[in-house]
Amino acid sequence: MEKIASSKLGREVKAGERVWLPLDLVVIRDFAGPNAILQFEEITKGRGKVFDPERIAITFDYQVPAKDEKVANNQKICREFAERQGIKHFFDVNAGIGQHVLLERGLVTPGSVIIGTDSHMNLLGAVESFSVGVGNTDVVAGFILGKLWFRIPQSVKMVFNGRLSYPVTSKDLALFFVSEMGGDGANYLSVEFYGEVIDSFSLADRITLSSMVTETSGKIGFMVPNDEVKAFLEERVGKSVEIIEADPDAEYLEIREYDVSGLEPLISCPHVPENVKKVRDLRGVKVDEVFIGSCTNGRYEDFKVAYDYLLRVGKGFNPRVRVIFTPSTKEVALRLLREGIASAFVEAGGVFTNPGCSLCTIGHHGILASGEVLLSTSNRNFQGKLGRGSYVYLSSPLTAIASAITGEITDPRDLL
Amino acid sequence: MALLRGKAWVFGDNIDTDLIYHGKYLPLTDPREMAKHAMEYVPGMEDFSKRVSPGDFVVAGRNFGSGSSREHAVLCLKYLGVAGVIAESISRIYYRNAINNGFLVLECPNISKKVKTGDELEVDPESGLIRNLSSGEELFAHPLSGLEREIMEKGGLIEHIRSLMEG
Repeated sequence: MEKIASSKLGREVKAGERVWLPLDLVVIRDFAGPNAILQFEEITKGRGKVFDPERIAITFDYQVPAKDEKVANNQKICREFAERQGIKHFFDVNAGIGQHVLLERGLVTPGSVIIGTDSHMNLLGAVESFSVGVGNTDVVAGFILGKLWFRIPQSVKMVFNGRLSYPVTSKDLALFFVSEMGGDGANYLSVEFYGEVIDSFSLADRITLSSMVTETSGKIGFMVPNDEVKAFLEERVGKSVEIIEADPDAEYLEIREYDVSGLEPLISCPHVPENVKKVRDLRGVKVDEVFIGSCTNGRYEDFKVAYDYLLRVGKGFNPRVRVIFTPSTKEVALRLLREGIASAFVEAGGVFTNPGCSLCTIGHHGILASGEVLLSTSNRNFQGKLGRGSYVYLSSPLTAIASAITGEITDPRDLL
Repeated sequence: MALLRGKAWVFGDNIDTDLIYHGKYLPLTDPREMAKHAMEYVPGMEDFSKRVSPGDFVVAGRNFGSGSSREHAVLCLKYLGVAGVIAESISRIYYRNAINNGFLVLECPNISKKVKTGDELEVDPESGLIRNLSSGEELFAHPLSGLEREIMEKGGLIEHIRSLMEG
């Protein structure tokens, strides 16, 4: 982090300093975006121009397509703003989850500084971008100044060695990380992930882990791209990208090393993400709904692994359970449709939705009644978040699909 | 910054942004409307917005404001007239959003154990000294940094920008 800030400012920057960093991209969504635009218009008396329309992006993912008049009006405010300001990086209701769309469209590079109105903006640390979630006031500052104040975080190094063995996934490692760190363990900190397990992780795996850094209050979680990730970035950006390596004498607040070869499938229990237990200790808890998707587990690979498992077990879903699949982006959706994966989920008794945030927020589809239980591959299980009196558990796509088949929380090893 | 005096409302650990301001009210853009829903999802606090008085403090345990980047969670308390949040730890996005809106946030070890709902507090935002007038106990919060105080004193980031634009 110090290295990114130093290269941006052309001088040595130390952890703890408050600095104004130039922004490569300022991102708003259909959530909080309208608030930022109204604030911007007020302060600039309706005559203001953004600092650089090329460095603003607008993504719709929160409640897409609009679910009521208020949301429709908010989206209209964003569309008209894009038009008025000449913002070309505008992605409407068909595109999908913002960070994922930006990544696929080649707008994210290692070392870039990005702010956005999404607390999981920092999942882009998976490709070494310093991306952070902010409120609408910070966005207004970004629109006008093209820079923003930051407190340069101290860094913690997490080293995960060994090998994860099927059906243990990156999500189980992410839940392990959250339980080790605690809900505020990484508050104001930057986390750097290293080790054999990280080296072997695909981009999808990295996104799963980096997105869960938010659940430890961490500012950002960085992973140095491997060859596969670098190739993906270069293909999308359309030119070669430079990877950032930490200096050999980099200072860390703390270094923690783990051998995670013996890791088991894990699950986070209501109502805080840090409340992590072994899936096998919760066997038999009835579920009413299962959700596979979100910015944490909404990549192609997340659905593919669930699909392969479903085929292997050879049974459909428990008819009592609502099983909802939401791809992160249009690109992911198209591939799932093309390869027959989406239709297999629907044939097994599931619901396949358009890309977006779906069940990560209340007010759109999939909301729970009081007393109901959801098993979700998303990142948060706050009390009442998806319906007053409901219970949300968080797991990997494999634990989710196994539980959708049986109708109760199931260790994915049990059906193999 | 002047000394502040008000009554404490004590909450537990992990008061997340959905408890402070539930996601179902996110489409609202008027902060006075937001204020009506402050703390509504904290069990037993459904009518907090009617019971709290201007100048009161929200006191909480660790990890206050974790979760969403929604600024509504700051604005709802600010527009309700709450003087500030004093918690054992405050999640980073909530912290920034508060500073940017000129809303006082202080981190103070053990505060949720040393203060009861209804206690009268006297808070010095400058030094971080908190006096519990009901128990006589003194507590020390971490003071704000220079830049944070500068933004707070201007009344928030927007005012700070306005002064930059004019200057």
